[in-house]
Amino acid sequence: MFAHILRRLIVWVPSVLLVMLGVYALAFYGAGDPIKLIFLRAPGDVAYDPVKIEAIRAEAGLDRPFLVQFFSYIWNLMQGNFGNSLTSGRSVWAMVSAAAPVSAALGLMTIVVTALVAVPLGMIAGMRQNSRLDYFILGTAVALWAIPAYVAGPLLMVLLLMILPDGAVPYGWGGIFSVKILLPLIVLSFQPIALILRQTRAAVIEVLSEDYVRTARAKGVPEHMVALRHILRPVLTPVVTQLGLIMITIVNGAIFVELVFGLPGLGRLTVQALINNDYPVILAVTLIGSFLVMASNLLVDLLYPLLDPRAADVKGS
Amino acid sequence: MTLLDIKGLTIDIARDTGPARVVDGIDLAVMEGESLGIVGESGCGKSLTMLSLVGLLPNRIRATGGQALFGGRDLLKLSAKELRKVRGSEIGFIFQDPMTSLNPVIRIGDQIAEALIYQKGLTRAQAKDRAVELLALVGIPAPEERANAWPHELSGGMRQRVMIAMGLAGNPKLLIADEPTTALDVTIQAQIVDLVRELKDRLKMSVVWITHDLALIAGLADRIAVLYAGTVVEDAPVDAIFDRPTHPYTRALLGSLPTLAGAAMERLPSIAGTPPEPGRRPPGCPFAPRCAFALPSCREAVPKLQSVPGNARHKVACPVMLEANV
Amino acid sequence: MTMIDIEDKPSSLWRDAWRRLKRNKLAVAGLAIIAALVIVSVFGPWLSPYDFLSQNLDLRNQPPSSQHWLGTDDLGRDVMSRLIYGARTAFMVAVGVTIIAVLIGVILGAIAGFYGGWFDRFVMWFTDITMSVPQLLLVVVINASLKQPISLWMEARYMETLNPIYRNTQIVDFVLVFGAMALITWPPYARLVRAQVLSVRQRPYVTAARALGLTNRLILTRYVLPNAMGPLIVAVSAGLGTAMVLESAFSFLGVGVTPPTPSWGNMISDGLRVWTNYPHLLAAPAAVLAVVTVAFNFLGDGLNDALNPKGQK
Repeated sequence: MFAHILRRLIVWVPSVLLVMLGVYALAFYGAGDPIKLIFLRAPGDVAYDPVKIEAIRAEAGLDRPFLVQFFSYIWNLMQGNFGNSLTSGRSVWAMVSAAAPVSAALGLMTIVVTALVAVPLGMIAGMRQNSRLDYFILGTAVALWAIPAYVAGPLLMVLLLMILPDGAVPYGWGGIFSVKILLPLIVLSFQPIALILRQTRAAVIEVLSEDYVRTARAKGVPEHMVALRHILRPVLTPVVTQLGLIMITIVNGAIFVELVFGLPGLGRLTVQALINNDYPVILAVTLIGSFLVMASNLLVDLLYPLLDPRAADVKGS
Repeated sequence: MTLLDIKGLTIDIARDTGPARVVDGIDLAVMEGESLGIVGESGCGKSLTMLSLVGLLPNRIRATGGQALFGGRDLLKLSAKELRKVRGSEIGFIFQDPMTSLNPVIRIGDQIAEALIYQKGLTRAQAKDRAVELLALVGIPAPEERANAWPHELSGGMRQRVMIAMGLAGNPKLLIADEPTTALDVTIQAQIVDLVRELKDRLKMSVVWITHDLALIAGLADRIAVLYAGTVVEDAPVDAIFDRPTHPYTRALLGSLPTLAGAAMERLPSIAGTPPEPGRRPPGCPFAPRCAFALPSCREAVPKLQSVPGNARHKVACPVMLEANV
Repeated sequence: MTMIDIEDKPSSLWRDAWRRLKRNKLAVAGLAIIAALVIVSVFGPWLSPYDFLSQNLDLRNQPPSSQHWLGTDDLGRDVMSRLIYGARTAFMVAVGVTIIAVLIGVILGAIAGFYGGWFDRFVMWFTDITMSVPQLLLVVVINASLKQPISLWMEARYMETLNPIYRNTQIVDFVLVFGAMALITWPPYARLVRAQVLSVRQRPYVTAARALGLTNRLILTRYVLPNAMGPLIVAVSAGLGTAMVLESAFSFLGVGVTPPTPSWGNMISDGLRVWTNYPHLLAAPAAVLAVVTVAFNFLGDGLNDALNPKGQK
């Protein structure tokens, strides 16, 4: 098991570094001179005093070679220093840590809702394959999957606006126990639910044709226990491996959902940074988002032997 | 005493174009303590016949007629709930491929114990103990340890022994073995056959052994029923089948067995043609198109099973051979 | 002999697939909607009742009426005309992006499949990494970093040549949007083609043909691509839908095509600002985008079932 973890990490760490390098390189060569970017925003003519600029540049260590700067950025990252925002001058770390709890709460709840809704519905659809119920569930899932969060969110709001009196439509952030979280949570869950529902259904259909399900029935195991032990258990293995993909849909979706519903999370931070071309912030949120997805993939990799005893054996040998 | 009595069983596949018949009026009985071999090519309906007894037919395939009397009830008329109680505790099953028939993510001890928990109402601990006993019964060494093994950690022969232990867990009166040795090596096949024969005597069960390999069950079966295209074409004590095979299909099957005596193995005789597709069965005797002895009359009426003169237990569905024999 | 094989099989295979597709009502509906979208995109200028840019400040934020079927926006522009031109944008971006992504995917996948070894491992590693970066964030980064240099370069070229084409901001938008999106959507195609190359290479007739001096390029065009066509079509239909959604997503965030070029995404984003007073400005583009994406999904699923009859959905 330890060797397995080590092996996965040996592949994983360079992958994370490569993503960081790519994103950092885009920033380094593309975004333009950070000093100039700062001074362009400053009032007056400071921006055009080359001597002063060079002095600040040297002081900030920005005249060093690319790779040196890259690794010093990584070094700072590991110490929780993401640099400062170009617009507000605040520490990016402070901005991120203020916004992260909102997104984390929303994201975790989305995963819980997804698991609770998608797996049972996918089971039902799969076990009643080609029935009306199956078509209904599957059709809804396709529709949910196809409608992006920035469409579903506003449409739902328009709908609520027509039903509820003015001013009663929830907007903003009130913590995870507030009613306000419901709408963003529902909208953010749409795509992950659709994804997991279809995965579960497909896996159920495959498992149903397995001989061991017939064996279980032939033993006289009651149908609900066949579903739980012999169908759900093997179905969960491929479904859990989708965690990384779910993470991507959540990270993508959160950007829109937070914007549409006015939640002060990482997604909204991203959009603001984008509008202001606030490069250190964009860099930070991109790295966090990619890191989350890659960490989920690593987690799945590490957990897989526990889910599938056959995989554990292969690794052991 | 008759344990199982199947009369006029028909099974249809629901196709887009309409139902297609795969089992066409099978009559078959199993006596208490008897072992019956069912022989036929793949697709002749031998497995479906047995699966229909306990309601395990695949989707879109249904028993549409006839009856199957077992312990005074017609199995085909039982509710799903009643059938579940029959499965395992009255009729046990062993399936073909022990690789795919065992759940890969459940330890084998738990898979055996599961049957006991639901059938006999044992507690987890009792069931676990009993599972170990059953593993010992089917000849698995170090059963306590093996109970905690995953299916993929066992060899094919061991897995099939586990399957047998599962089939026996509920003390069934009838054990149905659906080609249990097809996926195994020849030497292992013999071991499994011996094991089932021994257990049958020890536990006083009846056994139905489905196979396409006549030679394999020669030493196991008391009686053999030969199926062709969803009908029984010959049903006789095992000696009679080997000594006096009567139906042309049975003869052809036996003819295609390699024997030591036929050392001149120039070519194994094979039966020309293929069995009819379900739903495209010819009028009259289904074997007639492939039969060397077929007469025009064979293509008119479906022949019925009739006793061979002098042996009431030897029944054949071939008037032509019966007359010729007389 | 092998030639007959290939020529013979696909034709009946395609006919079978078409027959299966026609039986799937949802897929046919999806196909119809997409066909309508293509027609609207191509013939947009003749179909739209007004110029998408013409403003009528006397008729701002009008609700739907007989003159303006879907009303007008905050500048008095006809919403329906803008939707039709938005379809053009969406269609152009989707097709452009998919073509580039398929080219990148086919080339990388084929090279990886044929040469194997470290290059193969590198490409697959790179594929995995690309797929694990959230697409939106990557495009945000690419956009934020590349937009300025490209604009500056264009401006410099304009100063040199005085060719007005270099002052067309639409070109920058499209290059950026196309480029960034193609850069993130190629991995599925690469995987698919690589898998196909690996399986085709093992077939005896290909081994035999190689012994006779068949080049990799010929194997690719004669064996791999025809065989990969089915899965590739499924992937492309899904990819077109994804690209369309992504385009509107970027435009929504303000990193896609810039106004006044109409795009469903920036219409939704504009509508979002005034949705409490003028819900139709939000509902119209949102509904159109939803219908089109659902159509692509139904068609994709239908194609998948029709072209891979054995595979479970």
